[in-house]
Amino acid sequence: MNPVPTQAVCRSVLADGAMLTVTATRRPRDGRAEVKCGGAGDARLAARMAEVVRLARHTEPRYDSRDQVVLSIDRAPAEGERDWELALVLADRMVRGLWHPRGEVVANGWSDDWQRGRVDGHALRAAAAAALASPVLGGAGGLAHLGQLLGHPDPGAAVSSARAWFPLHSGGAFDSLGWVEVGVHPLLRDGGASEEEEQLIAVPGFDAARQHAVRQALAGARHFDPRGQGRWRTTVAFGPGQIQGRSWELALVLADRIARGREFLPRGRIVATGCSDAWHAGRVDTVDGLAPKCALLLREAAPGDRILLPRAWQDSLPPGFAAGVAAAGASLACVERIGII
Amino acid sequence: MIGFFKRAAPLADACALGRSAVALPLRASCAAPPSCPVVIVDASGRTRRSTSAAGKPVVLRDGEQAWAYHPGPYTVDIVPFAQAPEIGLRTSFAVDALEPVAQQRFDLYLAAEVDGRLELDALARAIEAALQRELAQGQLALPPCTTIEEWNAFRQGFNQLLYMRFGLSVDDCVPADLGGQRDYASALAARAAAQPAGAPLDLAPAVAVLPGDAVLAPLAGRFEPALIDAQSLRRLFLELPCLMCGLRLAALPSGQALFRRQQSLLQRLDLLSVGAGTMPALALAAPGQALEAQEQLRRARHSRRATLALDEAWALLARMRGGGRSGRDEPIDDVRLAALYDDAERIVANLEADCAARREPRAQQEAA
Repeated sequence: MNPVPTQAVCRSVLADGAMLTVTATRRPRDGRAEVKCGGAGDARLAARMAEVVRLARHTEPRYDSRDQVVLSIDRAPAEGERDWELALVLADRMVRGLWHPRGEVVANGWSDDWQRGRVDGHALRAAAAAALASPVLGGAGGLAHLGQLLGHPDPGAAVSSARAWFPLHSGGAFDSLGWVEVGVHPLLRDGGASEEEEQLIAVPGFDAARQHAVRQALAGARHFDPRGQGRWRTTVAFGPGQIQGRSWELALVLADRIARGREFLPRGRIVATGCSDAWHAGRVDTVDGLAPKCALLLREAAPGDRILLPRAWQDSLPPGFAAGVAAAGASLACVERIGII
Repeated sequence: MIGFFKRAAPLADACALGRSAVALPLRASCAAPPSCPVVIVDASGRTRRSTSAAGKPVVLRDGEQAWAYHPGPYTVDIVPFAQAPEIGLRTSFAVDALEPVAQQRFDLYLAAEVDGRLELDALARAIEAALQRELAQGQLALPPCTTIEEWNAFRQGFNQLLYMRFGLSVDDCVPADLGGQRDYASALAARAAAQPAGAPLDLAPAVAVLPGDAVLAPLAGRFEPALIDAQSLRRLFLELPCLMCGLRLAALPSGQALFRRQQSLLQRLDLLSVGAGTMPALALAAPGQALEAQEQLRRARHSRRATLALDEAWALLARMRGGGRSGRDEPIDDVRLAALYDDAERIVANLEADCAARREPRAQQEAA
C-alpha cells in the first residue's frame, strides 16, 4: 500500500537561476484554516500562494476538510515572478496523495486559470531547462493542464490529447516508463479532397520508417473502430528515451482511443505494452521482455494506474505480481482485444 | 347537486408520464392515471402513499403535495466520463411500484429534491453526475479494456448506487457506442470556434476588469441564493435522519473500536440534523437585521456544498450495502469497514464544516 505522505517537496528554478523549494506538510486541521502559507516573510506573497492553491483545488473530485496543509517556500521570488505557482500546486497535490511522482520534481509554470486546471506557460529559458534532468514545464508542449500528469484529456479544450505510458526496457539499470501522446484536431471537411487516413497522422521528429510504423498502427486500429476514420487530424509525440521494437503500439492505440473520446478513462495513468499484426481486427499480440518489464511495472505502479499486458503473458506472470500491483492500488488486465468487452 | 357522480379531473399532460416525465405533480381532485402510484408529501416532508382507488380523485389535506409517478421501465444513455462523450452506458431502470412497507427511497427523493415535474432528462443528468463523481473518486472503476469480473463488480456497485441514491432498480446496463448521437469532433470544433482566435496569453489584469452585464445576466439566473439555499436546507432536513437510519442498518460493527466509531458518527449526524432544523434565515444576520447580498451568496454556497456531501454519504451507504469484495452475501470484513468508516468521518467532517459556515453571518477568519 502506498501510504499518503505527510510531507512533500517540490522545487522550481527562479529567474536568477537559484533554486526555490516548496515544502508541503499535512497535519490534522484542529479548527485551523485548510491552507496555511508561509511566503518567506512576505504577507502579500503568502496571500497569493493561498489563492493559487485554493483555486487549483477546484479541479479535484474529493474534498477532505480534516487536514490542514502548510506550504512554505524557502526564498522570496522577485516581484512579479510567477513561475513558482506550478511547484506550489504540485506540492499540495503530492502531500495529499493525489500525484505520486518518482524522484525529485522540478516544476516551472504559471496560470491565470488555475480553477480549471490549466497551466498557461513558463518563463524558464531553454538553456536552464536543458540543464535539469526532467523538469515539469507548464504551457503548450509541456504540461498544459493538471490532468495531463495522468494522461487525461482536458475536458474544456478544443484539442483533445491523451497520454499513455509503456515500459522501456534497456538492460536493467536504466529501465523506465516512456510515454506517447496523441492529440486530435477535428477535421473540417469542405467536401471532396479526401486524403488518406495515414496522411492525416503526423509524427514530428521521426524518421520515415518509424513514422510509417506509427501511421500503420493507428490507421489499422481506427479501421477497427466504426467511427474512427476521416474525422481527425492527428499529432503523435513520444517522450524522451530511445524507442526500440514495437511494444509501444498498444499504448499508442489506447491513447488515440482516449483522445477521440471512445474509451473509458482510468483514474490514474495507462501503462500498456503490446503490439499487433492485426490492429484492424483489434487483436493484441505478445511482446518480449516479460520479466524485466514486470519488475519495472511493479516498481512504477501508482494508485489508480491501469496496467494492460498481452493475454499471452497471463499464465507466465511472475508469482506475486498481480498481488503487488493490487497492493499498490493499480489494476491489471491481460487483454486479447481492444474495445468494449 | 352533490358531486356523487362527478368525475375526477384528468391529470394534465398525463401522456408524458412514463415517456419523457417520470413524475408529475397532482392537484387535489385530480385522479392519477391507472397503474401510476401516488406519493403524498405533507408540510413537514413526511411521505405516504395515496389510498384512494384508481380513477378516484386524490384526497389532500392542508399543505400536502402529491405526485403521480410511472414505474417505468425507462431507458437512458449515461456518459460515465465527461472527456469520453462517444462511449456511454445504455441503462434501463424502473421505480418500484409495489406498496412499500417502510418509506421508499424514491419517495424521499421526490420529497427532498423534486420541485414540480420530474423529467426523465433531469433524472438522467442526476444519475450521470452521481456516477461520474463515484468514478472520479475511484469508488467505482470502469477502466479501459474492462474485464468481465471488473464489469460485474462495476454493475453491482452501480445498481447499489442508483438504489440508495434515487430508489431506482437497474434492469439492464450495457456499454453503448453513442457516436451516432454525439459527435465529439464537431463538439471540439464548436469549442474552438467559441474561443477567440489567438487570444492574448499575456498577463491580462483579469481581476480588475469586471464582466459586463451581458455576462452577468445569464449567471444570475443559474445561482439564485434564496432558491438554492432553500432547496439545500430542505434536503439536509429531510435526508439526514434517513442517512442515520441507513448507517445504523447498513453494517453491523464487530468489536469495540468499530462500534465506538459508529456511535460517534451517529452522534455527530444527530447533532447535524438538529442543526439543519434550526438553521438561521438566509437573509438575516441577527433578528431584524438584514444581511448583505454577498454574505447571503456565501451562505447559499455553503449549503449547496453540504448537499454534495449528502450525495457522497448516499454513495457510501451504497458501498456498505454492496457488502464484501466478492458480493452482497459476504459480510464486510473489519479492514474494509474501517476504511468505510474513515470515509464516513471525512463526509461528516465536511458536512459539519459547511453547516457551521452556513450558520455564521460573516466569513470567519480562521486561525492559521
